[in-house]
Amino acid sequence: MKRKLKIFIASFVITGTIVSCSQDFLEVPLQGKPTTATDPNLAQSLVTGVYNSLLAGEAFGGAGGDVHGISFITATNIISDDAEKGSAPADQPNIGAVDNFTHTPTNNFVAALWSGYYSGIAKANQAVDALNVAAVDANTKKQLLGEARFIRAYYYFNLVRFFGKVPKVLRVPKDAQDANNDPNFQTRASTDTIYKVIQDDLQFAVDNLPLKNKIGVGRISKGTAQTLLAKTYLYQKNWQKVLSLTQDVINSGQFNLVSDYAILWRKVGDNNVESIFEIQTGQFNNSDLGVNGYATWQGPRVGGRGGWTDLGFGFGTPSPNLVNEYEAGDKRKVSTIIIIDQSLKRTGTILYDGFRIPSADSVQNLYYNYKAYASENNNIEPFLGNRDQKQKNIHILRFAEVLLMNAEAANELGQPGNATTQLNRIRTRAGLPVAKASSLVDVRNAIWNERRFELALEHDRFFDLVRTGRAAQVMQAAGKNFVAGKHELLPVPSLQIQLSGGKLDQNNGY
Amino acid sequence: MKIFKIYTSLNTLFVTFLLIFNADLMAQSDLKISGKVTDNKRESIPGASVKIKNSTVGVATDNDGNFSLTVPNNAILMITSVGFDNQEISVNNRTEINIVLKANIRELQEVVVVGYGSQRKVDITGATASVKGEELVKQPVLTATQAVQGKMAGVQIINSGQPGSSPVVRIRGTGTALAGTATLFVVDGVLTDDIANINTADIINLDVLKDASATAIYGSRGANGVIIITTKKGAVGDLKVNYTMNAGMRSAANLVKMANAEEYANYVSAASGNIISAGTTSTDWYSQILRNSWQQTHNISLSGGNEKSTYFVSGGYLSDEGIVIGNKYDRYTIRANNDFIVSKKIKVGIVSLYTASTNQNVNLGGAYNDSYRAAPIIPGIINGKYGNTSVYQNVGNPILDIQNGDDKTLENRLQGNFYAEYKLTEWLTFRSGIGGDWVNQNQRVYGKKFNNDTTTFITPGGNQRNPNSTLSNYSSKSFRWTWDNTVTFNKTFDKHTFIVLAGTTAEQYTQSYLRAFRKDVPADPNLWYIGTGNANTSTNDGGGDKWARNSYIGRVNYNFNDRYLFTATIRADGSSRFPVSNRWAYFPSFGAGWVISSESFMQNQTIFETLKLRASWGKVGNDRIPSDAYTVTVTPNLAYPFSGGTATPGSAITEIKDPNLKWETTTETDFGIEFSALKGKITGELGYYNKTARDLLINVKVPSVTGDADGQVLTNAASIQNVGFEATLRWRGKINDAISYFIGGNITFNDNKVVGLNGGQPILDGGIGANQQYTTRTDNGQPVGSFYVLQVLGVFQNDGEIAGYKSANGQVIQPSANVGEFKYQDTNGDGRIDDNDRVFVGTYQPKAYYGINAGLNYKRLDLSIDVIGNTGNQVYNGKKAFRQGIQDNVESALAYTRWTPNGGSQTEPGANGGNLPPSTYFVESGSFIRLNNVTVGYTLPKVLLEKIKVSNIRVFVTVQNAYTNKKYTGFTAELPGNPTSSGIELNAYPTTKTFAVGLNVGF
Repeated sequence: MKRKLKIFIASFVITGTIVSCSQDFLEVPLQGKPTTATDPNLAQSLVTGVYNSLLAGEAFGGAGGDVHGISFITATNIISDDAEKGSAPADQPNIGAVDNFTHTPTNNFVAALWSGYYSGIAKANQAVDALNVAAVDANTKKQLLGEARFIRAYYYFNLVRFFGKVPKVLRVPKDAQDANNDPNFQTRASTDTIYKVIQDDLQFAVDNLPLKNKIGVGRISKGTAQTLLAKTYLYQKNWQKVLSLTQDVINSGQFNLVSDYAILWRKVGDNNVESIFEIQTGQFNNSDLGVNGYATWQGPRVGGRGGWTDLGFGFGTPSPNLVNEYEAGDKRKVSTIIIIDQSLKRTGTILYDGFRIPSADSVQNLYYNYKAYASENNNIEPFLGNRDQKQKNIHILRFAEVLLMNAEAANELGQPGNATTQLNRIRTRAGLPVAKASSLVDVRNAIWNERRFELALEHDRFFDLVRTGRAAQVMQAAGKNFVAGKHELLPVPSLQIQLSGGKLDQNNGY
Repeated sequence: MKIFKIYTSLNTLFVTFLLIFNADLMAQSDLKISGKVTDNKRESIPGASVKIKNSTVGVATDNDGNFSLTVPNNAILMITSVGFDNQEISVNNRTEINIVLKANIRELQEVVVVGYGSQRKVDITGATASVKGEELVKQPVLTATQAVQGKMAGVQIINSGQPGSSPVVRIRGTGTALAGTATLFVVDGVLTDDIANINTADIINLDVLKDASATAIYGSRGANGVIIITTKKGAVGDLKVNYTMNAGMRSAANLVKMANAEEYANYVSAASGNIISAGTTSTDWYSQILRNSWQQTHNISLSGGNEKSTYFVSGGYLSDEGIVIGNKYDRYTIRANNDFIVSKKIKVGIVSLYTASTNQNVNLGGAYNDSYRAAPIIPGIINGKYGNTSVYQNVGNPILDIQNGDDKTLENRLQGNFYAEYKLTEWLTFRSGIGGDWVNQNQRVYGKKFNNDTTTFITPGGNQRNPNSTLSNYSSKSFRWTWDNTVTFNKTFDKHTFIVLAGTTAEQYTQSYLRAFRKDVPADPNLWYIGTGNANTSTNDGGGDKWARNSYIGRVNYNFNDRYLFTATIRADGSSRFPVSNRWAYFPSFGAGWVISSESFMQNQTIFETLKLRASWGKVGNDRIPSDAYTVTVTPNLAYPFSGGTATPGSAITEIKDPNLKWETTTETDFGIEFSALKGKITGELGYYNKTARDLLINVKVPSVTGDADGQVLTNAASIQNVGFEATLRWRGKINDAISYFIGGNITFNDNKVVGLNGGQPILDGGIGANQQYTTRTDNGQPVGSFYVLQVLGVFQNDGEIAGYKSANGQVIQPSANVGEFKYQDTNGDGRIDDNDRVFVGTYQPKAYYGINAGLNYKRLDLSIDVIGNTGNQVYNGKKAFRQGIQDNVESALAYTRWTPNGGSQTEPGANGGNLPPSTYFVESGSFIRLNNVTVGYTLPKVLLEKIKVSNIRVFVTVQNAYTNKKYTGFTAELPGNPTSSGIELNAYPTTKTFAVGLNVGF
């Protein structure tokens, strides 16, 4: 008995030794959370993560911020003379503030853009860092680097257009202290420096990315990089570069105009021959995967007598100004704008998928953005029921704009004939007569005007007004409180200034 | 490797002890003795311990005080019983020994379980409190912590009325902001955060360790206090059967009266300018979703044993329907506690508990909120069709909120501890205990398919619909084991007594979960399995957690002549949740006590039987932080659909982590006086504490340019201080042989404040709806979770007041205001009202909380009364604040007190559409006093029972939460919540009032 006991106790002691002796007892690997060390395909996976950041649309301080969501819609469309805040009057006054140029540095939508774009840039920086040390073949590496650097350039291009000077961040901070102490993170670089960063990245992408037909659909191609690079030169009025880059794109044989403008923003038109840079949507985990909130924030909203299940919150409604300025016969109007029935006959508005929106007495607003409409009829367009992530591709760059940039550069370089040729390709497709303009100034105005309708509600108008120096005049004419020298740019978010210890300076007038 | 060495040397030590002291003790002839233990009035003492001195052999007396035991003929018996002085008697070859114990009325003599051992209360230098099992079972509640509300100073219990829920426990204030606040429970040596599985009827004692000196033995987990629960064991003797039950009815304790159809129509017409017709319906939505409900508990226990082994087995059933329709909680428990005396030196035992519970949850957040907002002019349900509130006002029909789904959670939990105790010599004991806790949980949530058409609703339309049925299945399992090895040295040298404890503990926790989801699952409940749904809609998720702790503990208790006491403890804690550089932390404590009453100069006074001063200092920690807090992780499944269709998964590093994360550390100083006076009539304890928690986890904001997704990094920065005073007094009296009584009370004053965020970001929390993104702010110099809102100055009575309300530079401050709207204070004087004008207006943490307990025995009748309350705190009327549509209902009182051009109220605004900013209008006093429990019992006379062979029958009637006096106009001022968002009434389960009858039968 005694012996048994001794064995019994001794076995306890021995087991205890075994358990605790291994100092590894406290070295518990993290469960269910991958780390940089546990992912063998980290670099490739991080590049996909950079693409994923294109879908960010969190405007209320949530993780990831806003890249193409309602904040983007607000700072591109709603801020311009083409669209209004829309929705119900009391809903989201901070969007209304941007619409009316009463926004302040504490505006949450402006703050969400800043954090969204830098969050995306950080992902691109991580991917670039990881790719530089990754064991992948040279061609794949060049392509992936080109993609990551393209998206970083695109983000900086939007940032510099939103905010002007911004911090130049091209590396991943080691920890919070590093993040809080590096002067590059705390101060704004000049717009020239940022354009240099953008054009370096894009030139790398142009040099290293394959042509569109050599790679999978939806990936960044050489043509994508050339087009964006051309557009950055457009903003710098480097006409020669714009002309040669757009000419390369035109001559590449990779792109053309589609015949029917109406399909451009519908599912049937996804990744068509005109598409150059298109934010892809689809499905993941048996649910929809799209730009967070893009379609639903702009979806037609119930109002008045109600009685129907509406499609969204009704923001970013086309302005009467835009609606009324279309030339007679412009086919683009009806596929850009959902016009609510005010006829008092209550016929309602039938959309391309057969959905009927009731007449004005049951709807909140009179116009909605047709380009943001995604059908909920799964037989027409794929929809798995997740309204926040509707499968609505966003067309950032398409061939029509290449033609318009080419035309503008040609005109500025004294080739108005070439310019009107390209311009007329656009007009003809729209069902409009050829342009009559012939003088440099007239052709320039005709191109600028064409950009408005061709690219209506495609997130270009406000930037274009600022680029061409017309912002104050046009916005004031539209009855907005636009202050020249101030409202061309958004304010730097006040929280970011505080976090920099006051080292980030504010834009003029805020 | 260092750990290894220490451990090895410790183990070598054990083995050496074993070899040296494992000598056979005795070889005398044995004798079977029996007898009876009584008090000096010849009343039998059940449950007294009769033991052979210096051994583990012993028995407990039965209900009639009888015992029998086989002992060596020359043994010395040691008889102990709580409430009596210990007594030693030599056997001297006698076979019948009757013992009379002298009553010991000094409560301070009671034994307190202090963690890895127990001590007499009088010997403890730290702050502790205890409640006996029989006190706990009086109340018709789920957990023991609910039953101790108001019973102990320094222990604040915040209850919810929700079936199956555990209350929030705050011991001596809130000492953390973002790490876990859960008090550590030690159930028969098993460490756990949740005791909802413990059948209260099985508990014999609940001890609370309050100060750092007492909890330092639990080191890194002592910061939030420790509650030690000891369950019942069998006693030597015949089988004893005990059955207790209570059953009763619950109802809502306090409801807010909402406007009826007429009042509503009147108010909304005024607010909107459109005439609303009251119609013929007037729905009281709360009465539609609330009910009177049944609750019952039944417990049966069997216990007994012989000299070699004792057993206690019990079975329990608890059922609580809850007062919200569709709600129900059931719990079944089975316990077996066994002790075996293997030899005179060796004792082994096992405690084990199996619990199965079913919780039928309800969508309370939706239904309860919607009931506040839904218009009374819409009918609830008629002939199975619901009134369509959503088409009228964009608020779900509350009844449908509950009936549109089915949410059930099953939990199985097995908890146990196996121990072996080896008495190497009379003064050296080795003990090893292995504890385990398995939890399996399965939640099934079914969402019914229904459309906004006339199949479901009286009128079609609106947005309350569910086009596809959904089924979500969540299953998780966790296992935690602990292994403690201790050596206790207990020896008295003349007037010096030493108790020295040394030991090691190891603990590991693993957890994993799996979640599956599909749509289009048929409506038949028999088909509510993932496999029946549409496979094209399936999604799933899974994950897990694992961590380990390893610790070394030591404690020295030194007692000189029962006068001077000294305690020192140390715990070295290692936790896998911290980086290697900060993995180990050391938690020391020191305590000293002076038992003045034992001094010779006190021997001639007759006032005090016991008078003791104590002082202590200690450090404890908190490691309740997520396992991944210091490791940079890669977020997977950030996918991109390159060519439309199915997306390719990608990943990103979205969070910056602090690689040097460390323990939260609390340092506490404690002073106390304990006494009993006037022949034990009065006993009491006064205490003062001052504790500061440092290196508290807090989020430090980082600029967005760093790419951190949420713009903040968790790090150790903040400090929080709690300073308090607590007092407990109890008077016990006896009028004559028939009537005795007691009255006691306790009160705790606590002052909580954030000493410094030290660069951390103030925590904004307590958001309510779109216009009130946050209502609390945890910031420097303020209590944790302070309400931070606009100051209402009054109501604008006319346009002149609006125009005349200007800042110093002449700017009209509220130019867009209308008459009848609030005038807010422009705190920063910038001429406009915004978030920068908010002011601190108090916190949910009370300045003081208290309990009053009284009892009366008259012959066979017993009566007890518990009163609890708190004072000096604020609550936020979140329901009122959540009103966000012009067609939302209002409280009935508002229909009469609102501002009108003629009425001119300065405190209530005119009829409005809600969506008001957070302001002092919603902040109300949280003080309340409540008659928490009243119980009247009657014990049947023994003569009656003997005929039916029953040893004891007691019947009782109890009322829980009979009456509350509060200033708060909402539903309840008792609002459990996180430290930074406590005291906001938004979705709180309505508190209940319970009337129950009970029976206690012993065979």
